[in-house]
Amino acid sequence: MKSNAFSWLSRHKLLLVAVSIPVLVALWWAFRPEKLWINQTVNEAAPFDTTGDPDPIFTGQFDGKAGGRVTVFKKPNGQEYLRLKDLTLSGDTDAHVELAKSGEVSPAREGAKANADSIDLGPLKMGQGDQSYGLAADADLTKYDAVVIYNKRTSTILGSAKLEAF
Amino acid sequence: MFAKIQTGFALAVLLSCTGFEYASAAEKAQAVEAGAFHGKVHKTSGRATIYKEADGKLVLRLTNFKTSNGPDVHVILIAAKDADDDANFLKNSTDKLELGSLKGNEGDQNYDIPDGTDLDKFQTVSIYCERFNANFGAAPLKKL
Repeated sequence: MKSNAFSWLSRHKLLLVAVSIPVLVALWWAFRPEKLWINQTVNEAAPFDTTGDPDPIFTGQFDGKAGGRVTVFKKPNGQEYLRLKDLTLSGDTDAHVELAKSGEVSPAREGAKANADSIDLGPLKMGQGDQSYGLAADADLTKYDAVVIYNKRTSTILGSAKLEAF
Repeated sequence: MFAKIQTGFALAVLLSCTGFEYASAAEKAQAVEAGAFHGKVHKTSGRATIYKEADGKLVLRLTNFKTSNGPDVHVILIAAKDADDDANFLKNSTDKLELGSLKGNEGDQNYDIPDGTDLDKFQTVSIYCERFNANFGAAPLKKL
């Protein structure tokens, strides 16, 4: 039986080759195995000038009474700044923007901020809209990984955003 | 002779002025959204940034980009917050928006985004292998 099959194969060698070639071609087309070790590198320039553009490095979404997003940018000269985007905070006076440690602050733990380690970035410029705040060069954002909007007078956290690296 | 020099000078001034104007218009491209790639089926890294040009045209730019080379790989936008796993956008009827074939598996590259694309709806860039219905990697976009 075995020798029969073998002799059938040897008698139909051409047929075998004719069948296996399209199968192999189809397999190659589907998997393109050579692409495993051939890289295709491109290097397109931006279609517009991006020199001097700040680089976003951290971002976070506010929760609590505040809505909107905060993004930390790094300028080409190394200077960092914080930008609040689409901020919504209904009329609150004496609010400050501060950097804090995310484990220590959340709007749910309103009073907790009093003992928390934080860096004050200054009074909130406006409750609505987009605004920027400068960051000191020594502000370590891996340590202070949250931005809070904090009411100094009533010691309440109005909103906080945990920063995530881009 | 003097008049010729004068007109030449005037022309040069005019040209440089229009040149400056053109340059400043070109600089007005604003980064509106950005996100970092994370790998799924294949290791993928780099950043995706969407720019809005002065005329409102949207451009997706990949920088420091790296993924695996593969067959029939496309850059698409998907109507989801992120592509968590294959099932997330392959089995659900998630809307996809084709931006074109991946130009290269390494390096910086640009893709035009069709006019009128709703970026509030399409929130994630995916490197998508059409042949095997696989998500090589994805970048969830965040507003800047």
